[in-house]
Amino acid sequence: MNKNLEQSFVTQLQENQNIIHKICRLYTDNEDAHKDLFQEITIQLWKAFPKFRGESKFSTWAYRVALNTAITLYRKTKRSVNTVTYEGQQHFIKDVDYNYEEEEQLKLMYQAVHQLNDIEKALIFMYLEDKDYHEISETLGISEVNARVKMNRIKGKLKKILNP
Amino acid sequence: MKELDLLKKDWKKNENAFNQLSEIDIYKMLHQKSSSIVQWIFIISLIEFVFWIGISLLFDTDTYLEENNRADIVWYLHLFDVLNYSIILVFIYLFYKNYRTISTSSSTKLLMQSILKTRKIVQLYVWYNLGMLLLGSFVGVFIAFTSNPKWDNFNESFATQPKVTLISIAILVVVIAGLMGILWGIYRLIYGRLLRRLFANYKELKKIDF
Repeated sequence: MNKNLEQSFVTQLQENQNIIHKICRLYTDNEDAHKDLFQEITIQLWKAFPKFRGESKFSTWAYRVALNTAITLYRKTKRSVNTVTYEGQQHFIKDVDYNYEEEEQLKLMYQAVHQLNDIEKALIFMYLEDKDYHEISETLGISEVNARVKMNRIKGKLKKILNP
Repeated sequence: MKELDLLKKDWKKNENAFNQLSEIDIYKMLHQKSSSIVQWIFIISLIEFVFWIGISLLFDTDTYLEENNRADIVWYLHLFDVLNYSIILVFIYLFYKNYRTISTSSSTKLLMQSILKTRKIVQLYVWYNLGMLLLGSFVGVFIAFTSNPKWDNFNESFATQPKVTLISIAILVVVIAGLMGILWGIYRLIYGRLLRRLFANYKELKKIDF
């Protein structure tokens, strides 16, 4: 494939890599798996790139391909031995006004999110990313109304996991 | 929900906290091998196509028919071969056409549907071949019994001892069932592992959008 295309892709991906990191963070639970999924998403994005005509923003397009890869195409490899779990590295930046109770709640919340199934994680992810229901429904291929209903159910489910 | 707001706040705060990959790191990744299920389905499907074409080439029906004194039907069989290979070509064409529609840029539901459809075509292809194999062996055995003088002794004992007939049929059925069972098991193993997650997620999506 031509060099310019490759250069343009790499530059844009480098700038938007946090999108992929965030998806990896949600769908994997250790560093090896994170790297593995990141790589697979990169390959899939690259494969799909020649068809990306710039009708939408690179980031919008990347969201979709990355989510699809995580939910549908990715095969968990066995080489990911549980090394460092995410709990330990969940919070990278410590607040000046460090709040122990909040920290505890967050930890539980992240654990609860990790217990959701792949589709529910996708919905939560888009919610956290401030995507509107129109985009959520288009990305997943479900109706807007049903996306809304499901989102409410997930909130209920999270509540239940947090307060059993 | 208070906790969810808290989570969102934290999520946004940590947005830029990931170890950043350089352009060189990304370049390297581009040239790595994909291990996506679509890739695997493609490889396995190719093996299946080649395997069944190989099986049909393996049988030398002309010699078989001549040995069994039925050279008269060789011509019909060739006609049948042409038909059979045309059908296989149609299968390969359909597979390729569907495989091309698999796009990671479409919605999740559509992507899953196109993967499952592609898979279904290969499945149909395998059933078709199994059916043909079964039909072929029955016709082959039938021809041997009716036209080959070597089998006359057997025919006699079949005629005089119905028990022998029954046992022979039973053995044939068990052998065929056993072979199909093994094949089915291999299938379950390969595709079960490969597609379990996809099926679960597809079911979940369909449940949302009943």
